[in-house]
Amino acid sequence: MQLRRRIAVFFRRDHETRALREEMALHLELRARKLHQSGLAPADAGFAARRQFGNAAVYQDQISAIWGWNMWERLLQDLRHGIRMLVKAPAFAAIAVLTLALGLGINTAIFSAVNAVMLRPLPYPQPERLVSLWEETIHSDQRFSSGGAPVGVKGGSARTTVSPANLADYRACGAFEGLAAYDSSPVNLTALGAPQRIAGESVTWNFFSVLGVLPAEGRPFLPEEDRQGANLVTIVSHEFWQQRLGGAAGALGSSVLLDSKPYRIVGILPAGFQSPQKLGLKETTEVYLPASYSNDLLTSRGDHEVNGIARLKPGVSVAAAQAALSAINARLEKQFPDTNGNFRAAIAYLGDDLAGGVSYSLWALLGASGLIVLIACVNVANLLMVRAAGRRHESSVRMALGAGRLPLIRQLLTESLVIAAAGCLAGIVTGRLLMIGLTAIAPAGIPRIDSAGMDWRVFSVAAGLALLTGAIFGMAPAWQASQVKPVEALKTAMRGTGGASQVRWRMALTVAEVALSLILLVGAGLLLRSFSTLMGVNLGFQTDRVIAMNINLPQVQYRDGQARLQFFQKLEERVRSLPGVQAVAYANRMPMRGGWSSGIQIDGDAENEYSPDFQAVNPGYFETLGIPLLRGRSLTAQDTDRGVAVAVVNQAFAHQLLHDRDPIGHTMQRGPDAPRISIVGVVNDIRRKGKEGQIKPEVYLSAGQTSLYPVRLADFAVRTAGDPHLLVSAISREVWAVDKDQPLTGVETMDELVDEAVAKRRFQTLLLLIFAAVAVALAIVGIYSVLAYSVEQRMSELGIRMALGAPPRAILGLVLRQAGVLIAAGIALGVVGAYGLTRFLQDLLFGVKATDWRAYTGAVVLLSAVAVIAALIPARRGAHVDPVVALRQE
Amino acid sequence: MSAVKQREEIPPGTLEMLILKTLARSQPLHGFAIAEFILETSSGVLQVEEGSLYPALQRMLLKDWIAGDWGKTEENRRARYYSLTVEGRKQLARELDRYARVSRAIAAILQPV
Repeated sequence: MQLRRRIAVFFRRDHETRALREEMALHLELRARKLHQSGLAPADAGFAARRQFGNAAVYQDQISAIWGWNMWERLLQDLRHGIRMLVKAPAFAAIAVLTLALGLGINTAIFSAVNAVMLRPLPYPQPERLVSLWEETIHSDQRFSSGGAPVGVKGGSARTTVSPANLADYRACGAFEGLAAYDSSPVNLTALGAPQRIAGESVTWNFFSVLGVLPAEGRPFLPEEDRQGANLVTIVSHEFWQQRLGGAAGALGSSVLLDSKPYRIVGILPAGFQSPQKLGLKETTEVYLPASYSNDLLTSRGDHEVNGIARLKPGVSVAAAQAALSAINARLEKQFPDTNGNFRAAIAYLGDDLAGGVSYSLWALLGASGLIVLIACVNVANLLMVRAAGRRHESSVRMALGAGRLPLIRQLLTESLVIAAAGCLAGIVTGRLLMIGLTAIAPAGIPRIDSAGMDWRVFSVAAGLALLTGAIFGMAPAWQASQVKPVEALKTAMRGTGGASQVRWRMALTVAEVALSLILLVGAGLLLRSFSTLMGVNLGFQTDRVIAMNINLPQVQYRDGQARLQFFQKLEERVRSLPGVQAVAYANRMPMRGGWSSGIQIDGDAENEYSPDFQAVNPGYFETLGIPLLRGRSLTAQDTDRGVAVAVVNQAFAHQLLHDRDPIGHTMQRGPDAPRISIVGVVNDIRRKGKEGQIKPEVYLSAGQTSLYPVRLADFAVRTAGDPHLLVSAISREVWAVDKDQPLTGVETMDELVDEAVAKRRFQTLLLLIFAAVAVALAIVGIYSVLAYSVEQRMSELGIRMALGAPPRAILGLVLRQAGVLIAAGIALGVVGAYGLTRFLQDLLFGVKATDWRAYTGAVVLLSAVAVIAALIPARRGAHVDPVVALRQE
Repeated sequence: MSAVKQREEIPPGTLEMLILKTLARSQPLHGFAIAEFILETSSGVLQVEEGSLYPALQRMLLKDWIAGDWGKTEENRRARYYSLTVEGRKQLARELDRYARVSRAIAAILQPV
């Protein structure tokens, strides 16, 4: 009751105060009149009335204490005072707020990315129970017992997809409510405008129920639809329905032609549904098909082909589920030692698994932005202390006049909080802008980053940070102020010189600032060195003026390798006659687009098995990609199924698998009963997987010998005389001339492909460079302001020195020495800090150690140089002081 | 001109009781009227710094012992008229009771032997 009244009064306090004043005025008036009536002169009556009334101001104060506003009134007063002080010092306020805005903004932006990619729950019901399931190899080194350099997988375990044959066993482990499998399976969509290849996924029937999502219309797949020979059905995305079918009401139940077969639409998914594979990516999976694994596949435990996703039973932990799976694996290993001996199932939370690829670099960036906030804090603390020193005299006078320490500290803290609040607001705005910029330049493939935005987590982190920073940078000056001894302070000087302890504080802050920036600089330097090392990597093939595309021939029309070969031979002939075409290549896969590897024996030696990469390529492949032939002969059009089985290998094959013997004349087999393939030539090494990839032993089979390879020819590339983009439409026309229903996808130049592969690294490097630049800029401001202030304070001392004959050079040296000590201490501390922290960057580095001396030296030299320049400006001002003017100020 | 009377400070803690009693006796009064009433009824013995009335009134308003309603004086001036609430009446009874006990005790001590 009382509180309610109090609050009511608080909000009407102007009104209440006026009312009170009116009441008191009336009282005085009535008393005065009464006294006048009893015979006093009007002037005396007024005076006597006031005396009888007492001090109205005191009573009003008492009343506002009764109303309980005092605390608030004082806070408001402090706030008003704080804002006034800041308005009176606009340069100081602007620098402080800008500094904070920058620091907080960068943090807000990076944190909202972290939030979007890693923290925000996945858009499925009860996402915390979803896990992804894969298989990984164990004792992998046993498989490759060659004496050469490590081949195949490196390290202890390598992740692979799951064998569908094992799925039923994993389901039986008892930890899962459901276990589904999915795999991307793009399909050719025809009879709806131009033929197109669209993103599809083949999923087990329970895929949607495991995710906890039901189609918005229609129904999920039935178990009997997920079998060989079942009716062809599909569930399509909302986007497919809207864009391809125009949102037609009768879409459900109608059929679409996928890979030339009619599929009946039995379900339409809710708008915005994304498969886990495509979360946050621009391309969505448009059609889902029942996986319908063949009986062969369901009995072949060695074929690892699909991605697993499972929903844990309520209350079952990942560790418990993993233990249950391990028990199953142990049984499978005994039962099927050939296929299951090397593999075990592993699970992880779906969200963690999806973010896995980028979480490391995001945490590193978050750490870096944390350092920036620290630097910003230190900077603002420094500025505040300089200000507090300037107001030392004011504080001393106020304390001498009886002001308590507490109100003084409270007022300084309020000022800091005003700055922090303004910085927080500016920081959120800055962060939002940075975020927009960030998502615009972020490379493709970072899951969910495009949906990064401001939500309660981002806001609370920003506000929390601002509060924390306000407290951190506000504490130092407030504590300083509380140490003021008024008598001494007033005695020492009329102008505040800032006591010895204050100077020490500011110096410590400057040292911290230099150290923090050095850490960031070293980190940026390491990434920059990595990136330039990466850029210098020779791919081994020529990427300019080559355009590549994917032509996936549907199984229905192109039943075997021969049919596909004929398609590509026809296409090659037609494209070669186009003007501007220099060479034409087709293969199962072009470099940068994945590939195929197979186990082999060399020269019939069954003891040692190797696992080189295999490609099936046409004779023009090497010419198109500019891979030089080093020995023997290249593949020719005569290398067909009717001729001798031949292959061309790369240098790494000769080096690693044949111990540098001449490969020509040696043979290899993909199994004990497989045909022997003779090696006829050696080509240059290339990095198939791009600049970060390893050079692996490669075998090039002739595309014409279709019986030798199980993979499908699907990639096509053309080397052109001019801009390769200009030929795209002509090539498409030739494709449609051969098969009018055949779509082309993934049309990109090799340069673009190579560039995309380094885009993430470039992005990371760029961000860390920007961070380091911001940090250095802040540090410069810090060093400058501390020295400028110190010179200002020592003006009279410098004046005396000069009056006594010290040359300007000596004064310059004096100030620079002071700066030098700070910078050197900061750098020394920073080197130690960098040494401790940059090891966390190791996984982000390429070809550079975290202790790379060049990165350290570069950072130290750069930071010292800019720091000395920052120090030079105030030092010169000190050296050019006019002694007369300086002394007169005293 | 009347002679200056001997005036006494109000014993601490009794001001609120006096106000409550004053309001209990009559119709709603404004601040000046309350002061006048106390002064006159005590024959001018009890001396209040009249301003101290107002903090007391505000405290009592907050405690809901009295209500304040704006009205007009005979000379048509705006004034806040205070009246006793139910809660205030109870409080008055409590205070009178307490006061009676205290003064009985004091009187017993001061009784001539």
